[in-house]
This record gives sequence, C-alpha cells and structure tokens, in this order.
Amino acid sequence: MVEYKYEEKELPDGTKVKVLADTFEPGETEPGKEKIDWRGRLFSRDWKLKYLQTGERYWFSKSWYGSEKRKNPA
Amino acid sequence: MAEAKAVSVDQVTIEAYEKAKGDGVETVFDRVSRIKPCPIGAGGACCKNCAMGPCRVPAPKNREETPEEKAKRTGVCGATAETIAARNFARMVAAGASAHSDHARGVAETFLKAAKGELKDFAIKDEQKLYQLAMDLGVEIDDRDLKDIAVEVGEICLAEFGKQEGEIIFLKRAPLKRQEIWRNLGIAPRGVDREVVEMLHRTHIGVDQDYENILMHAARTSLADGWGGSMISTELQDVMFGTPEPVAGRVNLGILKKDHVNIIIHGHEPLLPEMMVIASQDPEMLKYAESKGAKGINLGGLCCSANEILMRHGIPVAGNFLQQELAITTGAVELMTVDVQCQMESLQQVASCYHTKLITTDRRARIEGAQHIQFEEERGLEVAKEILKMAIDNFANRNQDRVMIPDESKEMVVGFSHETINYLLGGMFRASYRPLNDNIINGRIRGVAGVVGCNNARVQHNSNFMVMIKELIKNDVLVLTTGCSAMAAGEMGLMTPEAALEYAGDGLRSVCEAVGIPPVLHVGSCVDNSRILMAATAMVKDGGLGDDISDLPAAGAAPEWMSEKAISIGEYFVASGVFTVFGVTWPTTNSEAVTKYLFEKYEDSLKGMWAFEQDPVKAAQMMIAHIDKKRKELGIDKARERILYDMEKRRELDAA
Ligand code: SF4
Repeated sequence: MVEYKYEEKELPDGTKVKVLADTFEPGETEPGKEKIDWRGRLFSRDWKLKYLQTGERYWFSKSWYGSEKRKNPA
Repeated sequence: MAEAKAVSVDQVTIEAYEKAKGDGVETVFDRVSRIKPCPIGAGGACCKNCAMGPCRVPAPKNREETPEEKAKRTGVCGATAETIAARNFARMVAAGASAHSDHARGVAETFLKAAKGELKDFAIKDEQKLYQLAMDLGVEIDDRDLKDIAVEVGEICLAEFGKQEGEIIFLKRAPLKRQEIWRNLGIAPRGVDREVVEMLHRTHIGVDQDYENILMHAARTSLADGWGGSMISTELQDVMFGTPEPVAGRVNLGILKKDHVNIIIHGHEPLLPEMMVIASQDPEMLKYAESKGAKGINLGGLCCSANEILMRHGIPVAGNFLQQELAITTGAVELMTVDVQCQMESLQQVASCYHTKLITTDRRARIEGAQHIQFEEERGLEVAKEILKMAIDNFANRNQDRVMIPDESKEMVVGFSHETINYLLGGMFRASYRPLNDNIINGRIRGVAGVVGCNNARVQHNSNFMVMIKELIKNDVLVLTTGCSAMAAGEMGLMTPEAALEYAGDGLRSVCEAVGIPPVLHVGSCVDNSRILMAATAMVKDGGLGDDISDLPAAGAAPEWMSEKAISIGEYFVASGVFTVFGVTWPTTNSEAVTKYLFEKYEDSLKGMWAFEQDPVKAAQMMIAHIDKKRKELGIDKARERILYDMEKRRELDAA
C-alpha cells in the first residue's frame, strides 16, 4: 500500500493548507508486463467489424472518406 | 585497432569494444579502419555487368571536364556514366526490394499453412487484423469460418508476389491522388517478382540505356516493395503474432544477465523468434536451465528480429547492427541464432573466441563454420526447444572470468503500430488521427519525420541518429522510427514519455504529455516502414493537410544507412511523395545528371525527392525547412490556436 505524502501550499488569501503530493509506487516498468491490450477489448466479430468501420474509417467507412469525401472511392 | 571513444556515442558500446580489444578479438570497428572504400564504386562509376568490363568511368576531380572528355567517359559497350550510375542505383533498389519481399513470401507461405491448420505451433492471433485484411482484399467475411477467411487471405497475398498484370491490391490503400500520380506515370506496380526481374533485365548490358527510364522503373520496383512485399509481411505477421500495442522494453547490452542462460536472436524474420519466446517460457525448459546452474533463460534480440519480439512481447533488445559482435564479446552469450539479413560473416570467427555457439537457421543464409539447424515451421516449437536446450547445455562452458556485461540498458515504451497510434489519439470510440492533424495545424507539432535505417561503420555508431533525432524533436517534429534507428533512439533514452520533458520543444512536449507518448515512436522493424506509409495516409485522409502524402509537413531520413534495403525503402518513400535525406555517402555522386534527377526532377513527377547530407544537424534542418515549406503551402505556417466559439460569438457570426 502506498503511503500518502502531503505538501504545504498557500491559498490566495495566505492560508496554509496541506495537499496531497505526488503519489505513486516507485519502481521500474518490467519488460513485457505493461502491455496496453486495447485490441483485446474487442471480443466479438461484430465489435471488431464495427471498430474497423469507425476507428479505421479512413479505409473502411462506406460514407466518410475524410479529405477525399468529394471524390469517388478508389 | 580503433580508438574506443571514437567508435560510438554510446558508452555501453565503447566499454564493450574495449573488452573486445582487450580479448584480442577483431570487430567491424577494426576492419573499417583498415579497408578504405573505393571512391569509384562509391559514386556509382564502376560497372561490372558484363565480361568486357569492369569499366570504371569516374568524373575528373576538382575540374570541369570538356564535352569531348565527357563523350569518351563510357564503358566498352558505350554505356555512359549516367546509364552506369542509374543501373547501379536501380540494382540496389531491386536487391533491397527482393530482401524485404523474400522475407514476406516466407511469412505468407507460413501464414497459409497455418491458416490451413497444417502447422500446430502457428495460429491466427489477431482476428481483427485478419478482418481488416479481408476487407482490403475483398474477401467475404459475414459469418464464414475464420479458417476459410484466413485461407483466402493467405492465397491472395501469396499470389500478389507474382502478379503479372494490373496492380498490387494494397496500392488502393494510398491516398486517391497518390494513386492517380502512379497511374499517370505508368508506375503502379505489378507483383514485386515481376518488377524486380524487369529491373534486372533492364539493367543487363545493352537493354535500358536511358537513365530517366531506368530510374522510373526503380521507383515502380520500390513501390512493389513498400506497398507490396513489405506491407504484406507486416500485415500477415500482425495476424499471426498480434498487432503491436504499447509495451515496455529495455535496450542495450546491459540486458544480458550474468546468472542466466543468454540467447541472442539475430536476423529479421519473426517466425523462429516467436517460437523461441514460447519455448523460453516453458516450465520444463526453465527447470532444465536451473538444473544446469542457471537462474533462468534470458532472450535478447538483435536487429529486426529483435524489433519484432520487442514490439509484441517486450523481449529486451541487446543492440543494433554494429553491436552484434560485441554481444558475443561480452563472453556471456551461450548461443546466437541468425536467420536472414544484416548478420556479419565475422560472427563465427568472433564466436570461436568464446564458448558461444552460432546457429544458422535458414537454408538461404549459411555461414561457414557455424552449425546449421534448419527452422521448419511444421515443427517450429520443437526446433526452438532443441536450440534452447543447446544453449542451456552450453551454460556450463561459460568462463565467468571472461565475462563483462556492461551495466546499462535503457527503458523504453514501444509498440506504436499505426492502428495503435490511431487508438491512442482518440480512444476506443473516437479513434482518430484528428488530434495529430489538429496539433500540426495549430503548430504545436511542426511536422512528422520518419527516421529509419541501419548503422554504418563509416560513421560513429549511433551519432547521426542521436544528433538528428534530438534536433528534430527539439524543433517540435514528432519522430516515427524503425529498425536500427529505433534501437539507437532507445539507447539514447528517447523512447520514454519522460524524454519529451527533457528533449522535445514546448509544443511537441505538450502533446506528448497530454497523450502520454514518447516524442520518438517505435513503429517496428524495417518491413514495418509500411506502417509509416499507412500512418501518413491516415493523416492525409483525415483531412486538413492536403490530399496527398506529398502535401504533408513530413520528411524521411536514414542518416546511418548502409544496406540495399535502405535504398529500396528510401526510394518507395520518395515515390510515395516524401522528401528523404540520406547521410554517410551517396551512390550516384559520379553522375551529376542522375543525382540531379533523383534530387530535383523526381519532384516534378513523383512530388517527392531524395537529398544527401552527411552532417546530421544540417540534414535535420533540411527536413525542417521542407516541413516549413509544406506548412506554408498549406497555409498553416503561422501557429494558430483553434478558436472555440461560444454562443455569443456564434450569434455575431450569424448576424454578419
Ligand atoms: S556492361 Fe558496358 S560498362 Fe558495364 S562492364 Fe560491360 S562493357 Fe563495361
């Protein structure tokens, strides 16, 4: 459990207050351990396809071609 | 022997080189000082394409030549200095494209076998990427079986290499305007096999003797690599092994462990490395290692094999191209595997000075004296375990008195595939390149640079990368990097989000802080330069920055390049509309006309062009100047904050 640290700050009226300081567990990242597995959250085929049409709309949206909106699709 | 401090800007490399020197082992740093480059070959003035030659046609030094002298400066067959320089350059492109694409073909063959269920150790890991490919390739998805989709995708990809007619399918991923440019110039490529064969044919004696014509086909050949071979490789690897996502890793020789069995995986293909990762985590293997007195098994990568397993699993990287011999001279490596590309033949000689076993694993790339264990996908994991066991057995032969592992390795955050950049910028429901484009438009980010390529022993290891990348990020240019360049950036500590605080300009720093990304993004291995093409295309398609890659405030560079692969990459960047600066040396300097064509005339047709500058600061400044020129053309040269209108302002506007 992290021990909270506090530091003293001054309010505009000069009153001193104690506020929470940087609070984190010190340590180094461990290779391979901190993967942000965002693709793992898309678990069904429908979700995956839906994401492709929205997230990867530059190539897969049927109605939206960004800067190429005015042109015919390739 | 070279002066230790002169060999690298990286202290770890200097220490490791001193150790090698102390052990009396010759390395690339020593060979480079005793072999001078041939100035005639270096400038592209030597032709050996037939047995009447070799013909050398160097231009006179330090004086203008007369028209009569110029007319006489030909090969026996009459080939001019222009033809010779263009042919040499084009053959470099062909060789580089072949290397990437032969790698890709191997991947496609494995993919197809895996899709058919013929390989027990390989599977479809990233379903979503498979659907992405299926949609691109026109493969029906609906509620079809995953296996059927994968088989069809594999068959189409494999057929792309030998496509005789039409154009490769992935070309249609490019911005529409770019596609038009290629079609109008007649350089939309067919399959890479066909383009490479035609390139070699054209550069045979007595065929294509118009340097402009040769160079346009060089562009076509390179496109068959970048938007074909390399892209297929990246995509299928992602399907089989997973699309990279941000992951922590470490880099430099300090990742070797004194009390572990150390295995170095060197080369370029991810097939064996993926199996080695699985094998190294097998409890039985770990137990076996312990039974031999080791505390565990430590895998480390070198060159692009390293990038592949780093990007997907966070497996640490021992170093880049120029550090390969030094990994062995630490005395702590039980075994090194090599597959294809960039592995020095001297490795066996160096390994023989220690207990290290060097294992070649690909029938296409044997090294005399090294032991060969053929990697067969059918028994992938079995081969990996066999190799691992050899390494463990060799642990007992390590002479701890001869071990010197440098203390340092650097932390980094990697895994920035173009899909992941898209996700990180907008999140699951608003994934988008919009924030990047907006920040370019408002001037916080000045532009984007791709800094890629190899190390070259002719320049101090990593020095050009370090200086160039620091100069770029200081000037608010976001850097995307691959290959040895990425490892150099990692070794310099530029690949953590905190690096933005120390090295980036205020604008870039504020964006990196907001998104939580490093100012230098590791995009992958050298075939993954195709990811940079995709990121650039997404930027174009998102809007606001023109309608072609050549409109983007972007530039490319390979300040320490050495391989033919680098020339192919540079050429497809240029042919895709990117201003690209190379350092160290330039292979057509002997012909002013050819050099001018590549540096200036290409821009008229391809809207992208080459440049050459040895000084990395000047090269970075050239890139920044190009970025500023593009900003001006886009009308975003003055930094602008986006104005958010409140209701009152809107009413004022409506009334106006
Ligand atoms: S092809 Fe021509 S220039 Fe080349 S070696 Fe033969 S004769 Fe000489």
